[in-house]
Amino acid sequence: MSNDFLNMNRRGFLRNTALLSATALTSSLAALPFAHAADFKPTSGETVYFRGWQFRTDVVQGNVDTYNKTFDGKVDYATVTGDYPAIMEKALIANEALDVLYANPSSAVRYSGGGWVLPASELPNAQEIADGMYPNIRDAWSIDGKLLGLSYFVSTRGCLHVFTKPYLEAGFTEDQLPANWDALYEMVYALHEKGVATPYLPHWFGEYFGISWGFVFEVMNRGGQVADPQTHKPLLTVDGPAGKTLEAWKKLWKSGLVPEEVFSYNEAGYIDAFRSGRYIFSPQQIYDLKTFNDKAQSGDVAGHVSLLSAKEQSWGLIDSALYLMTSRKGRSEALTEDVKKFVSWYGYKDEKGEFAVANRWLKENMLFSAYKSVMESDEARTAVSTSLMRPEDYDRVLEVYSKTPYPKGIWNVVWSEEFNFWLRDKLFAFLQQDLDVEGVVNEANAKIEELNARYKI
Amino acid sequence: MADNVSSKRAAGAQRPAEISTFSFALIVSIPVLLFLLIVVAYPLAYAFYLSFNEIRFFGGYSADWVGFQNYAKVFYDQSFWSSLSKTFRFTIETVILTLGVGLGLALILKHLPGKWRWLRALIILPWAVSPYGAGIFFAYLGRGQTGVGTAVAAMFGSSQTINLISARFVIEYLAVGAAWNMAPLVAFFLLANMLTTPQRLYDLAKIDRMSRLETFWHVTLPPLRFTIFVFTCITTVLAMKTFDYIFTETQGGPGGASSVLTYTLYKISFVNLDLGYGAAMSFFLLAVILVSTGILYFLWGRKEERQ
Repeated sequence: MSNDFLNMNRRGFLRNTALLSATALTSSLAALPFAHAADFKPTSGETVYFRGWQFRTDVVQGNVDTYNKTFDGKVDYATVTGDYPAIMEKALIANEALDVLYANPSSAVRYSGGGWVLPASELPNAQEIADGMYPNIRDAWSIDGKLLGLSYFVSTRGCLHVFTKPYLEAGFTEDQLPANWDALYEMVYALHEKGVATPYLPHWFGEYFGISWGFVFEVMNRGGQVADPQTHKPLLTVDGPAGKTLEAWKKLWKSGLVPEEVFSYNEAGYIDAFRSGRYIFSPQQIYDLKTFNDKAQSGDVAGHVSLLSAKEQSWGLIDSALYLMTSRKGRSEALTEDVKKFVSWYGYKDEKGEFAVANRWLKENMLFSAYKSVMESDEARTAVSTSLMRPEDYDRVLEVYSKTPYPKGIWNVVWSEEFNFWLRDKLFAFLQQDLDVEGVVNEANAKIEELNARYKI
Repeated sequence: MADNVSSKRAAGAQRPAEISTFSFALIVSIPVLLFLLIVVAYPLAYAFYLSFNEIRFFGGYSADWVGFQNYAKVFYDQSFWSSLSKTFRFTIETVILTLGVGLGLALILKHLPGKWRWLRALIILPWAVSPYGAGIFFAYLGRGQTGVGTAVAAMFGSSQTINLISARFVIEYLAVGAAWNMAPLVAFFLLANMLTTPQRLYDLAKIDRMSRLETFWHVTLPPLRFTIFVFTCITTVLAMKTFDYIFTETQGGPGGASSVLTYTLYKISFVNLDLGYGAAMSFFLLAVILVSTGILYFLWGRKEERQ
């Protein structure tokens, strides 16, 4: 021990201690970002294969480039065209080079049933991630208590958009806007009597998330369920919401107010149809409010598109997607660790502790997130408000969003995709071949029973 | 004299014997046949194996032997018969349109004046478009809000939207697109055939004072008949196994109006993942293709060969 230390007075001791503490604190603070950076840095030297459907591929590529540049990563991003869920399922069965992918919850549950998914619960900070999510979303994305993936987006599909200009011109007021499905159909016929040729664009398009989802959310919005959320037993009834929905559809189809071309639309065609200004009401994605109110994209309707209130009932259903990690065979441990690092950075927080990707989606496309911190920030309010017809619609957006149901009974089950395709074909046949309401409801229940039996549920 | 004969025989023995046409064809084809055997045999054999099993992927992979159950199920499946009838409708219309348009195009291209002959190169472009691309292209053209029908109506001052992808005639619309894609190739082959017909035959037809129709029937058409037969077979097979074009254009819709057999097979095998049943049904498609081309050969092909 040196004499200097032994001879140190109290002032000197305090000064040295303070200096030492400050140095330690500064160095630890300075090291913090680097510590995070080191956590995300890949070590295997192998490529991480990331695949998704075609939506704002420029944004995704930009994010991936940022990761690769910052961490000297080797993430290979590409999009998949065609029937996305089926294509990805084949890739998973074939054990193709695929590490991270987009998936809707129903697909995620099916892929998990095949044993092809590495759940997000396996991430080192899984508990922190799960705690940061809204409980209803976390529940929707979990199976057997395991969180399947990280948040890509959460939206309301099927919330009722209204093109206010022709509605008001037809002599109706905002107070008369429909508050439930029955009132909506009455208003459609009333508008037609006032000379509006096509007052309503129903959710009857041909995609896998088209007509079948339209039926499911209308049944749920009317207070019903397609299947029990726990047992997955069928719950459709002829004199209940399912029967009422089909009766309303039959009347609408027979009235000739809906052009047959809707059946052959893809999603882009469906959005184009509404922004052409030919329709007054339509169930659409909540985030498409931004598209419809953007003059550059929707000149015919921009500044005049709002939502119907959800005070009386919900509209639509929760449409969401996850970033899913695969559990492909033959992948090295080191590469699996790299996959986890990339997914954590991309689907949660970056090296600065920020929700960089989620915030960018919110700003650029009004894609909502499952993370409370993202949705409840001032930036979120600003981003959403600027996308609306008027600032006060922000509260209506949150009202609709907060009440949206999730069809757990038919989505968190391995046969989800099969039932969805069956339902799509049956509903088209119901309209085109004028099938009996009771017959369709009974057949749907029987189909669910058959699938439960086939998969031993 | 005897020496002369024996020396001729010796010379004949030294000259290598000419191989028969059949042997030559066999030598040329064997590498291709071997390649096809490797590429086709394994998937075909595996599909055959799958068709006798019920395949499950969920809860662990399993293949349970079910014998001929999958084949028997096909006969009772309403969607199979409905898809089969749509397949026949699409195939017949596609073949007629493709050959009709191909022949028409070839006649036009043959009689193009010198300064317009560059059009012969341009006309092949539709064939260069992939079926996937053609599907997207015709989907846009057919839809009411973006399509050609609405554009034509607007030219006449109408605000009506004309939707060509209607359940009533979607198969016909699909056949038009398929013919647009394939007819240029047919036209080129027919044109090549036409250009080999000696000009003096047309001169003789003029001397005989034949009408244009008679000239076409008795001079132009006879040398084309075998080519037309070959393309009828090719187009029949292609139309029966068309999938990507229909998938991108209509997704089997509107509703199920264009769910041909390949689309139904896709749904069974790749959406429902019922690979055993899908494999069994795919052998029915194979049988339909083989029988159709067999009938064409026995009714038409043999006659053309004899001539």
